Amino acid sequence: MEISAIRLEALKEIGNIGSGHAATSLSNMLQTRIDMAVPKVWLVPLERLSEALGQMDAMKTALYLKVEGDAPGKAMFVLSVESAEIIAKKLLYMTAPPEIHIDEMAQSALREVGNILVSSFVIALTEFSGILLQPSTPALAIDMIGAMIDAVLLEEGKVDDSILIIDTKLSGLDEMEGKFLYIPDEGSLDKLLGVFGL
Amino acid sequence: MSNTILVGMADFKVGKTPDKLMTAGLGSCIGVCIYDLQSQVGGMAHIMLPSSGDNMKGNAAKYADSCIELLLKDLYRLGANRIRLKAKMAGGAQMFSFTGKTPLLKIGERNAEAVEQELKKAGIPLLAYDIGGTFGRTINFNIKTGDLHIKTISHGEKVI
Repeated sequence: MEISAIRLEALKEIGNIGSGHAATSLSNMLQTRIDMAVPKVWLVPLERLSEALGQMDAMKTALYLKVEGDAPGKAMFVLSVESAEIIAKKLLYMTAPPEIHIDEMAQSALREVGNILVSSFVIALTEFSGILLQPSTPALAIDMIGAMIDAVLLEEGKVDDSILIIDTKLSGLDEMEGKFLYIPDEGSLDKLLGVFGL
Repeated sequence: MSNTILVGMADFKVGKTPDKLMTAGLGSCIGVCIYDLQSQVGGMAHIMLPSSGDNMKGNAAKYADSCIELLLKDLYRLGANRIRLKAKMAGGAQMFSFTGKTPLLKIGERNAEAVEQELKKAGIPLLAYDIGGTFGRTINFNIKTGDLHIKTISHGEKVI
């Protein structure tokens, strides 16, 4: 799979629109300013996935939602454990950060964050493109990023040699920092880019 | 000087003592090590899917069957002897559980079965394994000793 410069730009724009809305809803939810970096678009071979994701055995909190519809894909919000705890603390009006591994309330709050982030991403894309998309219920895991991403990629029992990732960094609320990842399924790319006449 | 060779996803590497082989963050994938202690050579593969099937395309290192074949070729090239080869493997977890969904493909389990099957076909004894669970693993293989060191975040460390 190769991707032309103009298609790459269009994918960045999709990231901009979708992640922009996701960042706004996160900002509303947390009542704080959220900064969004310019989205990066990666097209990486599986064996070099760490170039996009960093150290594959770093411990992260990940929220995962499958996006179904006319141009299916996978959405993930990946953040450090501390960042996840900062968000849960703020949402639940706690005085100290919760233990995210064991605190079910905190986990549930984070799932809701995943829900709202991905829903706003998807709604923005649908409004802009007319492509109907529907997010699944969120799943949460706290583990090695590599292990979580492989499970997500292999969910349907097949995987491309290279993975396309629209990667947007979100930060704010003290030290909170996360990555919003959107991974369109193989056949979805042409549909998404068709909106740009590409 | 000891050198740690990194193995990516859908990737395989071989080495000689004092090299070590490592793959980080195995989820439902399998890390399989095949080695010959007498010749002091060994290899590691990070396998993602059970079988290349009939419509094999792209990177052969993704699949249990085609990857093990490639790994064995490289091991022989380095001087491994077929009858002395042994294997160990780890991984094959189920990372996320979804509720109210169609039954999940148990890809981790199927991967483990496929690797076991391929080893059997090649006549290579599987000496030890650490498979399943719902957590990721990072594995480090010492070609000199044949020890496979397994690290997890919340389920400790072990050597098999």
